Amino acid sequence: MPLVVLGLSHHSSPVTVRERFAFAEARVPAALQMLRDSGVADEAVILSTCNRVEIYAVTPREPPAAFTALREFLVTCHEYHDPLTDEIYALSEPQSVHHLFKVAAGLDSMVLGETEILGQLKKAYDLALQNGHTGGRLNKAFQRAFNVAKHIRTETNIQRGSVSVGSVAVELAEKIFSRLSDRDVMIIGAGDTSEKTARALLSRGARSILVSNRSHDKAVALANELGGRAVPFDAWAGEFANIDIVVSSTSAPHYILDRAKLDPLMKLRRNRPLLLIDIAVPRDIEPEVNFLEDVYLYNIDDLQAIAEDYLKQRKEEVARCEQIIREKAEALLSHTGRREPDGAVRPAFGRE
Amino acid sequence: MDWLTDRHYFLLAVIVYGLSMIYSVFLWRNGFRRDNRVNYLLLLLAFGLHTAAMLRRGFRLDRCPVTNLYEATIFAMWTIVAVYLAVGLWSRLRFLGAFASPVLFGIGVFALMPSLDATHGPRPELPAAWTSVHAALMSLSYGAFGLSAVAALMYLTQERNLKFHKLQAIFSLMPPIQRLEAVAGRLLVSGFILLTLGLLSGVVDLTHINNPHLYRGDPKIVWSIGVWLLYLGLVILRWRFAQGGRRFALSAIGSFVFVLLTFWGTNVLSPLHNP
Repeated sequence: MPLVVLGLSHHSSPVTVRERFAFAEARVPAALQMLRDSGVADEAVILSTCNRVEIYAVTPREPPAAFTALREFLVTCHEYHDPLTDEIYALSEPQSVHHLFKVAAGLDSMVLGETEILGQLKKAYDLALQNGHTGGRLNKAFQRAFNVAKHIRTETNIQRGSVSVGSVAVELAEKIFSRLSDRDVMIIGAGDTSEKTARALLSRGARSILVSNRSHDKAVALANELGGRAVPFDAWAGEFANIDIVVSSTSAPHYILDRAKLDPLMKLRRNRPLLLIDIAVPRDIEPEVNFLEDVYLYNIDDLQAIAEDYLKQRKEEVARCEQIIREKAEALLSHTGRREPDGAVRPAFGRE
Repeated sequence: MDWLTDRHYFLLAVIVYGLSMIYSVFLWRNGFRRDNRVNYLLLLLAFGLHTAAMLRRGFRLDRCPVTNLYEATIFAMWTIVAVYLAVGLWSRLRFLGAFASPVLFGIGVFALMPSLDATHGPRPELPAAWTSVHAALMSLSYGAFGLSAVAALMYLTQERNLKFHKLQAIFSLMPPIQRLEAVAGRLLVSGFILLTLGLLSGVVDLTHINNPHLYRGDPKIVWSIGVWLLYLGLVILRWRFAQGGRRFALSAIGSFVFVLLTFWGTNVLSPLHNP
C-alpha cells in the first residue's frame, strides 16, 4: 500500500483558498475517522497550518484512484464549490516521502529552513496516533521524517542565522553582550517592528523593557503588554546611563538622537557598549554616532542585508539537504520494500 | 631516535605551528564561520612535539628546563598552547587557534635563534628549587600576557567588524566582544599576579647572593620592574578607572609586543641571567 500526499500550500494557492480548506484542530480526529471509514485510507495524518493543508495517507487503492477520492473528500469536507485548477497537488511514492521529509526539515516552508513546521508536523502526527489513525507505515515514515529533520539541522547550515529583522537584532546583541539576562532595552516609538524586536529580545532573556512614545498612553499600553515600564517621550535620554540596547522607530522627520546629544551620555556609561537599532524611515539616529567608542549603530538596511545574506546561505544549502533527503527516502522505501520509480502522479490536480 | 635532539623536536613543532598559521589564513578569509578541527589537530600535533622537546631537555638536565632564554621562551609558549588545547575542547572556541598560531610561530622562530640557547649551568650559590619556581612563574606570566594579547586581538577584530557592519561579525563563531574583553582583562590580571610572584621568588633567590654588586642595576631586573610597573598601570587603569574597549585591547597588545621585542635584548645584557 503506497503512502500518498494530497493537499495545498503557500506554493500552490493563495491564503484566500488555503483558509477555506483549513481544519480546526478539534475537527481533525473526526475527519480522519471519516477518511478511514470511506475506505480510501488505512492510515492517515492531517496537517493543517496557516501555510498548508495536507493529507498523508496509506491507501489500499492505486494512487490515481486514491487521489480522486482524497480530493473529493477535501472538497466535500469544506463545502468548497469554486473552481480549482492547480491549487491541489498530489504525490505518490517516492515523491510523497521526499515531500514529507522536506516539510519536516523546513525546506518547503515560506521561510526556508524554519523550525516551527516540525513542531506542527509532530503535533499533527501525535493527534492521529492518539486517535488510532496511524499504523506501521505512517509511524515509520513520520519517525524517519523527524530524524531526517534533526539530521539536516545538525549537519547543514539550513537553519543557521536569522532571516527577520527582529532576530537579526537579537543576534547582533548576542555578538556584543556576554549575556542578555542582565541587559535593559529601550524602545523609542511603539511601532510594529520595534515591538517584534523587543519581543525577540525578551524571549532571549533581556532583563527589562522601557517604552517611550510621543503618545504616552500608547507607550503605557505597550509597556504593560511587554511587562515593561513607560517613559515620557521628553525624558528618554535620561535613561541612557542604564540601558544597553535601543530600538528606535519613531515617525519623526529628523534625527532624534545625534552625536552631540549622545557623546556626554556615553561618559556616564563607563565604557559599557551600547547597541542602537534604528528601524525608522526616515532615520531617527544620526549615522555619525557610530564613530563614538562603544557605540554600535545598525539601521534597517544593515539588518535587512544581514537577513538576506543568511537567506542566501540557506538557499546554498538546499542542494545538500535534498541529497540527504533522497538518500534517507531511498533507505526507507527499500527497507519497507516499496518503490515506484515512476514517481508523482498528477491526474488533473496539478502539483507544487 | 637519538639523532633527534630536543631542539630538533622543537624545530618540528615550530614547522607545524607554521602550517597551522598558513591554514589560519584561510580561516580568517572565511570569517571563522566553521568549527575547525584541522587547525586544532595541527596544534595538538605541534604540542606533542613541543612537549617531547621539553621532556627530553628536562630529563637531560635532570631539572625543570628553564635555565636559559630558549627554555624560558618555549615554556611560555607551551603554556599558551596547553591553555588553547583545553579551551578548544569546546568547539565554539576552537577558532582561537587561528589567532594563537601566528603568535606561536613568531615566538617559536625567535626561540630557535642559537644565541638564546646558551649553555650555562645554574649559579651554584642559588637554590635550584627557588630558581626553577622563579623561572616557571615568570614564563607562566608571559604566557598569560600572550594569551591576553591574543584575546585582545580577537576583540579588536570582532569590534571592528561590528562597527563597520561587516557580515563576518555576525557569521563568525567568535564570542561576544564583552566576553573577549573580560577574558583579556582576567588573563592580564592573572599574568600580573604570576609576574609579581615570580619577581618575589627572584628576590628570595637574590638573598643567596652575597655580593649585591652582582645584581644591582642588572638590566634584566630593571627591565622586569619596568614591565611590572607597565602591567600595574594597566591593571589600575582597568579596575580603578574602568578603562576598557579598544584602548584596553590596544594597551594589552602593545605591552606584550614591547615584552616580546625587549625580552631577548635585556636577557643578553644581564650578567645575572646570562653569566
